[in-house]
Amino acid sequence: MKKKVTPWLFVGPALIAYLLIVIIPIISSFYYSLFDWNGIGNMKFIGLGNFVKQLHDSTFHTIIKNNLVYAGINTVMQILLGILLAILLMHLTKGKNLVKTLYFTPCIVSSIAICQVFEKLLSKEPMGVINAVLGGLGLESMQRAFTADPKLSLYVVAFVEFYKWSALYMIIFYSAFISISEDIVEAAVIDGASGLQQYLYIRIPLIRNIIFVALVMVVSGTLKGFDVSYILTSGGPGYSSELVATYMYKQLFTQMNFGYGSSLAIFLVVECVVVVSLLKAITPRDAEC
Amino acid sequence: MVKKKNRVCRTVFGVLVALVLFIQLYPIFYIIISSFKSSVDFANNPPYTLPTEFFIGNYVTAFTQSHLLRYFLNSIVIAVFTLLLLVILGAPASYAIAKIHFKFDKAILAFFLMGIMIPTFVTLLPMFRMYNILGLRNTYASLIIPQVGFGLPMCIYLYTGFLEYIPNSLIESAQLDGASQFRTFLSIVFPLMKNTTMTVLTLNFINVWNEFTFANTFLTSNEMKTIPLGLMDFNGLFGLKDWGAIFAAITITMLPTLIIYFILNKQVIAGMAAGAVKG
Repeated sequence: MKKKVTPWLFVGPALIAYLLIVIIPIISSFYYSLFDWNGIGNMKFIGLGNFVKQLHDSTFHTIIKNNLVYAGINTVMQILLGILLAILLMHLTKGKNLVKTLYFTPCIVSSIAICQVFEKLLSKEPMGVINAVLGGLGLESMQRAFTADPKLSLYVVAFVEFYKWSALYMIIFYSAFISISEDIVEAAVIDGASGLQQYLYIRIPLIRNIIFVALVMVVSGTLKGFDVSYILTSGGPGYSSELVATYMYKQLFTQMNFGYGSSLAIFLVVECVVVVSLLKAITPRDAEC
Repeated sequence: MVKKKNRVCRTVFGVLVALVLFIQLYPIFYIIISSFKSSVDFANNPPYTLPTEFFIGNYVTAFTQSHLLRYFLNSIVIAVFTLLLLVILGAPASYAIAKIHFKFDKAILAFFLMGIMIPTFVTLLPMFRMYNILGLRNTYASLIIPQVGFGLPMCIYLYTGFLEYIPNSLIESAQLDGASQFRTFLSIVFPLMKNTTMTVLTLNFINVWNEFTFANTFLTSNEMKTIPLGLMDFNGLFGLKDWGAIFAAITITMLPTLIIYFILNKQVIAGMAAGAVKG
């Protein structure tokens, strides 16, 4: 009898905390999403009405498109540049650790700090560093208020997100590269594989599992992207850099549309779970990492 | 001939690494140098120039125009309790999941790991309402609670990943000698897990120190703000910002993370990359 109780004494507290803090709020969010409700008046039950509203909300559709572009840009840049930078690090002979440590710094700085400095660097009035440099290069025609330009704001937000996290992916790929047994690579070198061939045909295919894991990380991270858009552009101008999470947040805490906002939160959970499961399903089975 | 090619290669390579590092570090360098610029400097000189004098007025403003010290205290209290609770709850749970065989152990692990995927936003409104009822808004608890809940999955993932490498025979022999599960855990297993504990602590310290969404939602009183929220204190009327003070405040608040990071960079990097590279 005692044997049966002991494990629950170990797991119980964590399980209760997790249930109360994470699981129950998800269930209550789903419950709220079934109502038309602004927090003050009566809660009017409308069934799946809020989800039907999502289908007809053209602003929301624009925002989904934004979020897909945002996730797409980050996926391509993080994976490609992450691999390139990891290769660069592999071939560095001196100061490898120093470069790695310095390069990683933006990952540990808060998004508020990163967004504040980019607001300053990218501004036009007063002239920020980027615009000043463009001016100095004789590219005055390219100068603009980057965060206030509806055509560019989404790309700027995506870039800042990429900037903040790029070192993380470099480290992930680098750790994967150095864990490859040197015997395999040496065999290829003896067979006459050039540096490029070593990567294209041996090293990169060997770390494909890690590439898939990184892919899951970028995609799920950017589908729920929030900080940079909310702080740097607050989704604007207009809805040009709005993401699903920032739209949801504003519906909840600015517009007080508690019902609709909750339905957007549920959308976000389902979206993340579905996309991550899909990605996991296409991940090569061998050597699950 | 080969040597010459090698040298050119090496130079190109060095320049490339330097360029990448420059781009990556410039914004942080810019924060620090700009924190020493006076408002005259900001107005009259191009933005990329170094400060013309070593001006510390921004630091004075940062401390006098906002409750920076108070924000430090708030952030530290929240971080300490979040980290303690994470280890107290997460380590024993992981031990039971990985080393005591019982019904549902696999299912419970899967249930916890699912939490890694869940966006924190989904809990904001239910928590906001619950806190209003319980009077928990503008308290330390309002930030400690959600960060413990959402930190647990990753913490359990890291601990159970490490526990796989501890041989069962070690635990069995301790129990043959008459040690209870609690004894075994406290005197043998927990000390062995100290590297993982360091990883859990450093990773979560950085997350908690930089956390924005929960703080922005649950804290409104000036007294209770954490550091990230406090950095928005210098947004004056009509969107005019005191940039010197902002950069001074950012520099001061970055320091603890930078110091911890430069001392413990291996653990920090390992912790943050843990999602992909297990063990």
